[in-house]
Amino acid sequence: MKITTLFLVLLSLAIASESAAQKYITRSGRISFTSTAPLEDIEGKNKTVIAAIDAKTGAVQFSVTMKGFEFEKSKMQEHFNENFVESDKFPKAEFKGAITNNKDINYSKPGTYPAKVNGQLTLHGVTKAMTSTGTITVLKDGVQVASDFSITVADYKISIPAAVRNKVAKTVKVVVDAKLDPVK
Amino acid sequence: MKRNILISILVIVVFGGYLAYRMYADETIDVVKQNADVNISADALIAAFEKDSSSALKTYVDKVISVSGTVKTIDTSGTVILGAQGTESSIVFSLDRRHLKDYKFLNAGEAVIMQGKCTGAEMGEEMMGISLGTTIEFNFAGVKKKK
Repeated sequence: MKITTLFLVLLSLAIASESAAQKYITRSGRISFTSTAPLEDIEGKNKTVIAAIDAKTGAVQFSVTMKGFEFEKSKMQEHFNENFVESDKFPKAEFKGAITNNKDINYSKPGTYPAKVNGQLTLHGVTKAMTSTGTITVLKDGVQVASDFSITVADYKISIPAAVRNKVAKTVKVVVDAKLDPVK
Repeated sequence: MKRNILISILVIVVFGGYLAYRMYADETIDVVKQNADVNISADALIAAFEKDSSSALKTYVDKVISVSGTVKTIDTSGTVILGAQGTESSIVFSLDRRHLKDYKFLNAGEAVIMQGKCTGAEMGEEMMGISLGTTIEFNFAGVKKKK
């Protein structure tokens, strides 16, 4: 009985240790942003976001191909790439940071845990410190990350042409939703 | 005379308004229904990027490409990934809003032809020590043909 108990305790520790050492990755994370302006609401969606989490250290990294955002209207698709984010010049946006309360997340126990992330966002060639909150849901086959935050476009030197100023908001809401799989 | 001028101005204003409306109301094209600029296999596309990434970016980004390959994984929220199992290199297709259910016709390991617009690639990158291989990305995509 004592040997069985000891074995079970050691096995649990091994599993917990393994989960803590686990890294997670996805190539199909989703980021969308919404602009609410007097004349029009605009939504851009990207479903090819690459993201990774290191469960041991809490490190988080996202890489977003700017041309990957899809819009319903062709002119907005064109303006976004050519005028707003200049995607030929700045093809990627990137976030590098860490989950500051990573020790509160038990990666071996399924459940939803609140998470706070600090890091740096690089967009349109400008890097700024950023903090956001969200959740990490530990699943049997990976983790689900969800967060939303706002960005002031001028902070990243994104200028909106006068012709569409009533169609694009100065602050956009960003929603992150990604299911990451364990790296084997 | 004045009446004719007024009518002419009215016609120009109405027509101009119609053009402006059409410019901003026109939906993005369903590229899955278009003729592809390039037809290529997944292996050949990955090889092209691995051989000369600068040239491949110029050749393929912003083009409508029809890619034949094997389904690696399916994300039911709207992404299909082609590639060989056990390898890191992948071609990621974000399904167009009009083709979000195309994944229902597919299973991992099956042959398929996907079509979409190439948006970019990550070549031989690592993220936090995790090898990404060559990852080529597409949007406005859908199933062109299931083999």
